[in-house]
Amino acid sequence: MNQSFYGLLLWIFLVAPPVANFMESVMVIHMHMQMPMLVIAGMLMARFFQKRFSGFFEIWNSNGVPGITLFIVIMVYWMLPRTMDEALTSHLVEGFKFISLPFLAGISLRDSWKKLNSFGKNSIIISFTVLFLGLGWLYIWSPVQLCNNYLVFQQVTLGWGFLTTSIGMVVYLGYNFFIDPSAYE
Amino acid sequence: MKMEADLIAGFKEKTNKMLGFYTEDAKLSKSYIAVAFIALLVGGFLGLLQGLNRAGLLELPTWFNYYQVLTAHGLLLILVLTAFFTIGYFYAALSHNLGGLLPKVRKLAWIGFYVKLVGFVLAVIPILMNEASVMYTFYPPMAAHPVFYIGLALIVVGVWLCCIGAFIQVANWRKNHKGQHVPILSYFATGVFVLLFFALMFVAVEVLFMIIPWVFGWVDTINVMVARTLFWAFGHTLVNIWYLTAVSAWYVVVPKIIGGKRWSDLLTRVVVIALVIMNITGGFHHQIIDPGINAVVKFMHVFMSLAIGFPSLMTAFALFAVFERTARRKGGKGLIGWWKKMPWGDVRFLAPFIAMLSFIPAGAGGIAQSTNQLDQVVHNTMWIVGHFHLTLGMSVVMTFFGISYWLVPFISNRVLTPQINRLGVIQTWIWTIGMICMSGAMHYVGLLGSPRRTSYTTYGDHATALGWDPYLMLLAVGGTLLIVGVILQVYAVFNMMFFAPKGETEFPIAEEEDNATKTPYLTERWGIWIVVMLIVVAMAYVIPLTEFIVNAPPGSPPFKTW
Ligand code: HEM
Ligand SMILES: [Cu+2]
Repeated sequence: MNQSFYGLLLWIFLVAPPVANFMESVMVIHMHMQMPMLVIAGMLMARFFQKRFSGFFEIWNSNGVPGITLFIVIMVYWMLPRTMDEALTSHLVEGFKFISLPFLAGISLRDSWKKLNSFGKNSIIISFTVLFLGLGWLYIWSPVQLCNNYLVFQQVTLGWGFLTTSIGMVVYLGYNFFIDPSAYE
Repeated sequence: MKMEADLIAGFKEKTNKMLGFYTEDAKLSKSYIAVAFIALLVGGFLGLLQGLNRAGLLELPTWFNYYQVLTAHGLLLILVLTAFFTIGYFYAALSHNLGGLLPKVRKLAWIGFYVKLVGFVLAVIPILMNEASVMYTFYPPMAAHPVFYIGLALIVVGVWLCCIGAFIQVANWRKNHKGQHVPILSYFATGVFVLLFFALMFVAVEVLFMIIPWVFGWVDTINVMVARTLFWAFGHTLVNIWYLTAVSAWYVVVPKIIGGKRWSDLLTRVVVIALVIMNITGGFHHQIIDPGINAVVKFMHVFMSLAIGFPSLMTAFALFAVFERTARRKGGKGLIGWWKKMPWGDVRFLAPFIAMLSFIPAGAGGIAQSTNQLDQVVHNTMWIVGHFHLTLGMSVVMTFFGISYWLVPFISNRVLTPQINRLGVIQTWIWTIGMICMSGAMHYVGLLGSPRRTSYTTYGDHATALGWDPYLMLLAVGGTLLIVGVILQVYAVFNMMFFAPKGETEFPIAEEEDNATKTPYLTERWGIWIVVMLIVVAMAYVIPLTEFIVNAPPGSPPFKTW
């Protein structure tokens, strides 16, 4: 209960106009801080929904695959330059961002992750790593402005954000691959 | 006869093992600690020369000018003293906690020792030749003789070897002790070496890929802002590595010395993790006045560096709780009365205790400096010098002194005699008074505008500059007291190392509280914490570094400004 409440607080904080305006003013903060934090808010709130609607999650997400699919769809959707642009121009789309990231992506991630086997988990992380490398490449070397609302320079910064994040994930995968926790625990 | 001697030797070896004492490892730590305190002695004398010069009492000769002295003082005390002490101390802890160092780990640490010494000698030669008066920050576009940077690079490699050695040691222990938590002092050591390992990457990139090609003339110009940023990503982390080292003694050793129990194991480990994750990004608070970073990003960075205040406050709370509980258990009464139950006459307690107290004003000053508008007033003035003599010269170094009074006897198989303890108590008070005078004077004269890194001048008898003189005189008085403190401390260390009576000294590690909650195993998953750290680093550095590189101004050729 407690963590759901903190998740709600975090969500309210992120949606508050001054905070939202500030975070959306810098492209990389928009995509790499605001959006993940919305997902985290959703993950925290997930406890509440899992308890409240446990039957629902059991029926529809028994093996985690539907949930994780929903998560991927939502995440990929928000990584398109076009959708970011629209979130800044249309209130309706911005509203959808504030709803979809926590409540569709965040909750389903929390509910699904534990249900996946390690092959599933690793494939998800690997696909996101590849996706991030690709997007990093796109944003850094794209010759044109991809977003109406952000300058090319901001785009390049975002590209480096993607590349460094994917380096973080590669380190994690390497750690998982080379180090066998059962040798230590 | 021979057999009997062997038997006695074997027996002695066994009791030593039971006490967690390993002769070979002790020799290693002893060498590190000896170098650290020699650096203190030499660096302290150089500090005195600076103090006397700043007060207008001493003019330095042209063949050894103020800026040479300052560069050497900075390097000796910031790099040599702290690095060698930290490594000597934590290697002693790893050896004691984890059943002795593995032979290959010991070898790595020895190679690291000599690589660092060679590097240091290489760095000092150009300083003495007046070819490297670039201060310990070696900001481009000031350019020193190439040998200076090669020396620095070797020091980096030497420290890396020690980091790798520590990782191997801890990994090996964990393999043989599945599911157990790494003992607390070794846990601190792991955190410190993880931080060192990653922080050094930033200077390594700066020195190897930016400065060395530039001073050799392979490239014409250097990107000054990128170099400064890489330096402080390392420099600031180094500061917190000292702090984490001191904190390890506060949490683990001091409670034992006063006869108490350790504060929550879980929260202690959380403090270590928090410092590891949030540290590197604090580097930007050294660049609050730098151009080229916009206000929004600076604001984010101030937030990130103030975040480190949180584990610091936790530490303060935890330690005072431990003191009060212990004193009350010993019959201390009342709101203030329990203070009397503390072992004020024991230097192993007194020195780190005063060190902790000094962290209160030191931390407050740090928070002030993190504020853009306030930093405008004190940036590059003597205030800053006052600040780090309080943090480093008092909070950290006095903790190191306090540690030396049990660590040196422990690794030397000798004991702390009452005489040396008394000497230590006197030393502690001299250092306290000296540092309060010196650092107080520095803070105040900085507010009046006296610049740092500037040898004595009256600016043509300008009234403002003349107004600084009384404070600079107080600075020199403090500095003189401090050099007395340095001499007493170094004497005590070498006395304990070579001349004190033989005997066994305990490695003081406090036990957990009886009703302690179990620490979750998550705290041991360094892989996760390192990934989180890398992501936090990316969050802080991607925006400004992209800015500096993509929108770079023309680079700068090397300059010799002296
Ligand atoms: C005998 C004791 C000491 C005295 C008298 C002393 C005095 C001074 C003075 C006068 C300055 C120069 C201020 C300037 O012109 O900018 C200075 C700088 C400095 N001191 Fe000390 N100090 C002492 C001990 C220490 C200790 C124990 C440490 C650290 C462990 C330390 C670290 C530094 C550093 C890092 C600088 C800055 C160098 C630079 O700006 O490049 N000092 N000290
Ligand atoms: Cu700092």
